[in-house]
Amino acid sequence: MGILFTKMFASLFGNKEARILVLGLDNAGKTTILYRLQMGEVVSTIPTIGFNVETVQYNNIKFQVWDLGGQTSIRPYWRCYFPNTQAIIYVVDSSDTDRLVIAKDEFHAILEEEELKGAVVLIFANKQDLPGALDDAAITEALELHKIKNRQWAIFKTSAIKGEGLFEGLDWLSNTLKSGGG
Amino acid sequence: MSGHDSKYFSTTKKGEIPELKEELNSQYKDKRKDAVKKVIAAMTVGKDVSSLFTDVVNCMQTENLELKKLVYLYLINYAKSQPDLAILAVNTFVKDSQDPNPLIRALAVRTMGCIRVDKITEYLCDPLQRCLKDDDPYVRKTAAICVAKLYDINAELVEDRGFLESLKDLISDNNPMVVANAVAALAEIQENSNRPIFEITSHTLSKLLTALNECTEWGQVFILDALSKYKAADAREAENIVERVTPRLQHANCAVVLSAVKMILQQMELITSTDVVRNLCKKMAPPLVTLLSAEPEIQYVALRNINLIVQRRPTILAHEIKVFFCKYNDPIYVKMEKLEIMIKLASDRNIDQVLLEFKEYATEVDVDFVRKAVRAIGRCAIKLERAAERCITVLLELIKIKVNYVVQEAIIVIKDIFRRYPNTYESIIATLCESLDTLDEPEAKASMIWIIGEYAERIDNADELLESFLESFPEEPAHVQLQLLTATVKLFLKKPTEGPQQMIQVVLNNATVETDNPDLRDRAYIYWRLLSTDPEAAKDVVLAEKPVISDDSNLLDPSLLDELLANIATLSSVYHKPPEAFVTRVKTTTQKTEDEDYGSETGNSESPAHIADSAASPPTSSGAPYAAARQAAPAPASPAHAAAAPVPDLLGDLIGMENSAIVPVDQPASPAGPPLPVVLPASTGQGLQISAQLTRREGQIFYSLLFENNTQSPLDGFMIQFNKNTFGLAAAGPLQVPQVQPGTSAGTLLPMVTFQNMSQGPPSSLLQVAVKNNQQPVWYFNDKISLHVFFTEDGRMERANFLETWRSLPDSNEITRDFPGIVVSNVEATLDRLAASNMFFIAKRKHANQDVFYFSVKIPRGIPFLIELTTVVNNPGVKIAIKTPSPETAPLFFEAMETLLKD
Repeated sequence: MGILFTKMFASLFGNKEARILVLGLDNAGKTTILYRLQMGEVVSTIPTIGFNVETVQYNNIKFQVWDLGGQTSIRPYWRCYFPNTQAIIYVVDSSDTDRLVIAKDEFHAILEEEELKGAVVLIFANKQDLPGALDDAAITEALELHKIKNRQWAIFKTSAIKGEGLFEGLDWLSNTLKSGGG
Repeated sequence: MSGHDSKYFSTTKKGEIPELKEELNSQYKDKRKDAVKKVIAAMTVGKDVSSLFTDVVNCMQTENLELKKLVYLYLINYAKSQPDLAILAVNTFVKDSQDPNPLIRALAVRTMGCIRVDKITEYLCDPLQRCLKDDDPYVRKTAAICVAKLYDINAELVEDRGFLESLKDLISDNNPMVVANAVAALAEIQENSNRPIFEITSHTLSKLLTALNECTEWGQVFILDALSKYKAADAREAENIVERVTPRLQHANCAVVLSAVKMILQQMELITSTDVVRNLCKKMAPPLVTLLSAEPEIQYVALRNINLIVQRRPTILAHEIKVFFCKYNDPIYVKMEKLEIMIKLASDRNIDQVLLEFKEYATEVDVDFVRKAVRAIGRCAIKLERAAERCITVLLELIKIKVNYVVQEAIIVIKDIFRRYPNTYESIIATLCESLDTLDEPEAKASMIWIIGEYAERIDNADELLESFLESFPEEPAHVQLQLLTATVKLFLKKPTEGPQQMIQVVLNNATVETDNPDLRDRAYIYWRLLSTDPEAAKDVVLAEKPVISDDSNLLDPSLLDELLANIATLSSVYHKPPEAFVTRVKTTTQKTEDEDYGSETGNSESPAHIADSAASPPTSSGAPYAAARQAAPAPASPAHAAAAPVPDLLGDLIGMENSAIVPVDQPASPAGPPLPVVLPASTGQGLQISAQLTRREGQIFYSLLFENNTQSPLDGFMIQFNKNTFGLAAAGPLQVPQVQPGTSAGTLLPMVTFQNMSQGPPSSLLQVAVKNNQQPVWYFNDKISLHVFFTEDGRMERANFLETWRSLPDSNEITRDFPGIVVSNVEATLDRLAASNMFFIAKRKHANQDVFYFSVKIPRGIPFLIELTTVVNNPGVKIAIKTPSPETAPLFFEAMETLLKD
């Protein structure tokens, strides 16, 4: 009862804070996306050994965005961050065709997680600025997104460097969350 | 059991940890901060909150400095117990080390150094590298210390990443605190490293001297300690350095003062001008005196250091003896140290004053202090000839007080005074004798008895006095008994009358038949023998003139004093022990265990082919029949051995070293195989460790040596000398060891010859060796000669020959010994191993359930050993009977057998 009340209260004033995880293989562009969203500019990044957390305000929703390192050695610890998560942004390096299979496996392993059952999934087919990048349809195919059942999802073509597609994705996310999808 | 009882297993209460977990994940910052505080509180009282690791680490990325510090604190405590999860913190450290706020940058780099988790150190190198070059001096100085911490975790990483160079660059930093911390870090790294890392050059010297005046007091201590290790190029440079440092003597911090004193003392060694030295001594006195007005604990530390300083430079405090006079309310440990220094500073000029003080102390209540005061008077008498009479007067006055322990202590020191000034003060003996009855302490009794014996001719009733002691002879402690014995003999020699003659009978009887003390018995027998054969010779021996003594109690060996002076203001100078005596360096110990592991891995590897080789090698030693060789003529074989050493193609055979490490003989300088036994540990050899063992290869005896240099400087010019020994072992040539750099080792195989410098007396396995080099004093150590290195290759005997020899030797030449602990399990392997050591199998027979083996062995000069070994295979217990024309070597032979069979 109390929780419900707070939720209603929060949505009334429009400062709902949503916990969002940004996941994906190493070098997919997660950290760049995070800071592009937060500061609106491209920062130089190094591989994230651990995590970054920032608050992003968009469409009257406060997103608490957790960007977790994608290295093989860190992926096992993703699960530490799963509880209470409303949404997952899964970032794929569209030009890294060799590792799409691994990306797919990791992705479906996440979907299997009990703690993430209610989370909505937003896929960013990132690095569209690079030559040879696959488009959203190809990524949908590669990640076997059509297999997703009982969950809201969307895929967007993005380029973190150019800032394209990110906010469209966030629009979808905020609308979905507002409508109670989370 | 009804189905309703399941309710007891579910509860609505969550417990503390899940509650904390929930709060840590709260979306409200204040709640999270409170939760972290609760976690830290739980941690502080000892509750295990390590399961909250990720939740706490998730709070790490915050603007709130307080919260960040708390999370860092948590990390330092628990990173070790959660090494895998610690990696989650890395990215935050990296970010924080680039934070615009220098406090956060420094905090990050400091915390990183405290997290001792191997897996993440590598990730922390980049941030550390950045922080070492940070714009803010606070960050740089923190990073400098972090390098020393990282070196402790992973020295290799620090060297590979060039952090040492960065640290050295920081010595030229424009901020004095950064310089001080860089010096501190480098000094610490140097202490944990075996090779030179931090050496002050003339360039860094000026930087350090500049920084010295501007940095904090503890920074000054770091810099002064580093400077005291600097060897100035010449006297002028030393003078310049000292001049720059002297203002530090006025510092309010005692650590700074002592470090400055240390540094000045070190540089003074180079200064030749007596004027300058005298001036410096004058300048050092007031600060040292000032230290004595601090709290008693600091006084004590100061006094222990001053004790060392006055041993080297007595002039510094020669005029300040008054400040060392004990105050009535000084704690006893301060008083004792003050007394020690007063004795060292006592001179003809101030002795009257000092004696007055001592006399005063001798009437105080604390027994230990009084004793020490009385002893101090005696030591002054021995030290200062011209004051001796005054000292004795004081002692006599004290004796007259008739306080038991004062009298006894006085008698002990007067004995020494008699030794120091023979035939000068004997007139006081009468006074001493008055107090005879009160003596109850062994040392005092022994002293008094010595006096009576020594001056028996001047003491009319010496025999009566001694007799009174003799009554209780059996109950006395050993050294009183020894003195009584000697004194009675002296008395007898001086007054060979009836009374003493009876006494000596009683004493000798008591000291030989009635006692269990071997020292006493031996001494008594020697006297007895002397007296009964030649009383004149006995007089020469017992009443011989004694060398004059001097007061060297509590004086340190000069080399130790040097080392302690170099460590002034550390625990070493308080304990008066070199640092390695009470500090174990983590690095060197781990290294040693690695070596040992290596040794056990390369343990047992038999190589039969190899044994065949050595067995088939042509006989190199004299093939003369043993009967002829038994004559005293030196065997011609030994020099031939040395010449025949570099036999090509044959593989080396490390007999008795368990495995047959294969070493080409043309490279004798690199002995491989199992570690040699340590004969001179590094602690004894001031950092030089020597391992050595005799070994036999191709019919030649070598002394295999390994020198490990754990000192700070290269060692060269090694030479070796062997004392006379049973087998006359000596080096065939000079020892060839290259210069050994610090932290490295060098091995060599020294060819040996036999029958060169033979010792007389019964055969002994003792091999006394002396080794010297250009940097250190001569080291002496004892090694053991195992007879089996002498077993020659031509020891094989035909059966007929064996039987004939066995019969020809008388039964008195047969010696048997049992080895109950030894088991022969694998006959083949044992025979092979013995054959490899030139012990040749001849025949075997069964006797009941026992196996009997026969072997032959020959040692140089053609001396054969015929061996009968009886055992039950796989059961403990081996019986060995040998027959040899040289039965006196049997004990050594059995020792060697034990070594061979135990392998």
